[in-house]
Formats: sequence, C-alpha cells, structure tokens
Amino acid sequence: MTAPTQQPQPDSALIERIVDGDENALSTLYDRYSGMLFAMLVRILKDTHAAEEVLQDLFLQLWRNGAQFDASRGSVAAWLLVIGRNRAISRLRSRSYRESAASAEGFSVDAIPSPGNLEDQASRMQLAERVRAAMAALSPEQRETVEMAYFEGMTQSEIAARTGSPLGTVKTRARTALQNLKQHFGG
Amino acid sequence: MDRHINSEDLDFYALGAIEGEEKQELEAHLRACNACTRELEAAQGRVALLAFAAPSATPSPAVKEGLMRRVRQERAQQMPRPVPSVRRSGWWTPALAAAAVIFAVIASWLWARDQAEVRQIHSLEAQLTAARERSIGILTAQQATGEILGEPETLHVALAQQPDGPPGRAGVLYNPRSGAVVYAGQLPKAPADKSYQLWLVPASGAPLSLGVFSAEEQTTFLTARVPAGLAAKAFAVTVEPKGGEPQPTGPKVLVGAGAT
Repeated sequence: MTAPTQQPQPDSALIERIVDGDENALSTLYDRYSGMLFAMLVRILKDTHAAEEVLQDLFLQLWRNGAQFDASRGSVAAWLLVIGRNRAISRLRSRSYRESAASAEGFSVDAIPSPGNLEDQASRMQLAERVRAAMAALSPEQRETVEMAYFEGMTQSEIAARTGSPLGTVKTRARTALQNLKQHFGG
Repeated sequence: MDRHINSEDLDFYALGAIEGEEKQELEAHLRACNACTRELEAAQGRVALLAFAAPSATPSPAVKEGLMRRVRQERAQQMPRPVPSVRRSGWWTPALAAAAVIFAVIASWLWARDQAEVRQIHSLEAQLTAARERSIGILTAQQATGEILGEPETLHVALAQQPDGPPGRAGVLYNPRSGAVVYAGQLPKAPADKSYQLWLVPASGAPLSLGVFSAEEQTTFLTARVPAGLAAKAFAVTVEPKGGEPQPTGPKVLVGAGAT
C-alpha cells in the first residue's frame, strides 16, 4: 500500500525532456522558477513590462539552448538567476550583454547554498525568508552597498560616488556583508 | 596575476562590482585557470542568493502563454523542409536557382504556418473539451447538492487525510432516500499510472465504486447514485491502478465515517 509520491521532478530530468522537445517540461520549469526570477527582475528593472520581456526571453533561451546546459554539473535555478540578472542589468544600464561582468553564458553555475531542495516550492519560500532575515541583520550601510551592487549593477567606485563614501569604506562594507551572508548560508 | 584569485575577489567579481584594470587582470587569470573558474562558479551560486531578498512578485499569465506560443512557432519552423532538386543542365541560371530557393522558402513557411495553426486548433479544442467537461461536472454537482442539501436525512461526511498519505480533504453529501452522492475534494494530482477511486462502504456487503478521478484540477467534483435506502458505514478514497478497480486494492488516502 503506497501513497502517491509528491517529489518534484528533478531539474536535470526536465532539462533532458526539453532537449527532446517536450514543451510540458519547459512549462513545469517555468512554473517552478518564474516567480523567483520575476521578483528579482522587477526589483532590478522597476518595470513590470520590461521584467516580463526578460523573463520570457530567458525561458526561450533555455528552450533553444537546453542541450548546452550540463544539469549534472550545475544548478538550473542559479544559472537562470545569473543569466536573468545579467540581462536585466545590461538593459537597465544600456550595456551590451557581452560587456556585463561574469555572464556565465559559457559555463555552469554551482548550486545556490540552500539548506533545502530548491526544486521544492516550500524550500524556495523558506530560503527567501532566511535571505531577507540575513539581509535585515546587516547594517543599513552594508545592506545598501550590496543591494546597489546586486540590484543596480553598480561598481564599487560608482557606489562610492553615489553614497559619498570613500572607496575603501565601500569595499569594506561589501566584504563584510558578503562574509556575513557566507557564514549564514555556508558555501 | 600568477597567484589564484581569493574567494573575496571572486565574490566581488560575481557581484559585478569590480572594474578597470583589476577586472581585466582577473579575467585574464580566469581564462587560464580552471581551478579559479570552478571557484567563480561557486561564487556565482553564493551571490545568486541575493535574488531572494527581492520582494515577491508574480508575472502575468500572458507571459507564459506568449512563451509557449513562441516555442510552438519555433518548433513548427524547425520541421524538415522540402529541398528543391535543381537540374544541372545547360539552361540552369542563377535567376532560376534563386527563384527555386524563394519558392522553397515560401512553401516551407506556408507549410510550417499551417502546421502551427493546426496544432493550435487541436490544443484549443482539447482545452475547450476539458473546460466543458469540467463545467458540466461542477454544474451537475451543484444541481445534486441543491436537491439533497436541505433534506433532513442527508448525511454530511468529512473525509480526512490518512497518516503517511498525501495531504488532502474532502466532503461528501449522501442522501440514503434517493441514493444521491456528491463529492468535492482536494488531493494532489494522481501519479501517471494511478487513479483515485471514491467508495461507499455499506453497513453490510462489498464497497461500491462511486467514481474514478485523477485530481487534475485543484478541486474535484463527483456525483453518483447508489440504490435507494442503502446505509453507508463510511466513504473512502483509495489509490488504484489507472482506470480504477471493481473492489478497492490500494491504500486509503481519505476516509470519513457515515452513519453508525
């Protein structure tokens, strides 16, 4: 007597199905990660319509180039976040996509250091709560520095100019903030 | 830069916060160093955590619809195209070859467009059929509920999920006088090779099947009619091989007691 299992299908299996031309697999991956990606894109672009365009293009790229992604080596969620962020930042700052730092197009991205399995919605929600709590624990200056870099694509010297702080101070704030997050989540 | 890049600088680089000469040096090293490239991949994953700090937001359903439409269009365009055969005879000219190519492209485009439209029509027809069947199911359940809800002898049975079973809940209305049964319940979608089956367990005798479903939708409605005057001891939902069984064989996932 076995009850129905509710384990989500692994991302790697969905990628294999996408490579075989299975639209339903793309649909499942979209349902799984579109909310997480869209939240980040809206935060970066501050424009719902633009965020939706980037979101759709991102999954279309996954459909077209799924074969190039080695799901056994890297994380689909992290890859989508890295590529999605780069595209949004490029659009925000009118930079060409090629110029954006660390585009990750050509290689995989390691899994996000999450305590749970991100293929599961409850784990994604728990992780979001933990990240928000960890960010709230930073000093306002540290948080501002990291958010300017991550969500606005600003370099350290741009952040220094915007905040009127010395470059060394900006570097220290970013370093401390990232170290705190690293300690919080391991990895 | 001969030494390996420290993880702090890789984090800054993954964040996109490094610029100028420092960035160029770092990138030159990354191109030549597999170990640091691997470390950068780990840094990318770490920095990606920050995305979760963004406030929640939900894209419009139109985004997914547009995506799936574009995917279907691309698939249609990738279908094998007819290749024109060109006779290499004396009267062959570049103009004729160009005309043949243009003709082939137009023909394949028209063919692909027709195929895409046919697929869209089939998909819409399937969706309409499913929606119509679902609407009829809900309407029938509503009508049956209206008929028996106010009757004094109608039983209201709550079906509870079972230990080690999937999460779920359901309710059954049963009128022994008329034999009408209405079920409304929520369960996760059944595995591909299984079905859920609703049973009435009479006070005496074998269980009666009231219907088979797969819980494709968030809420499932079923209506059934059993012989009038039947005393119900319990109602249960079991997991059975796809299509159901004459008698329950699988685990109970929802159970509720009827009249005692």
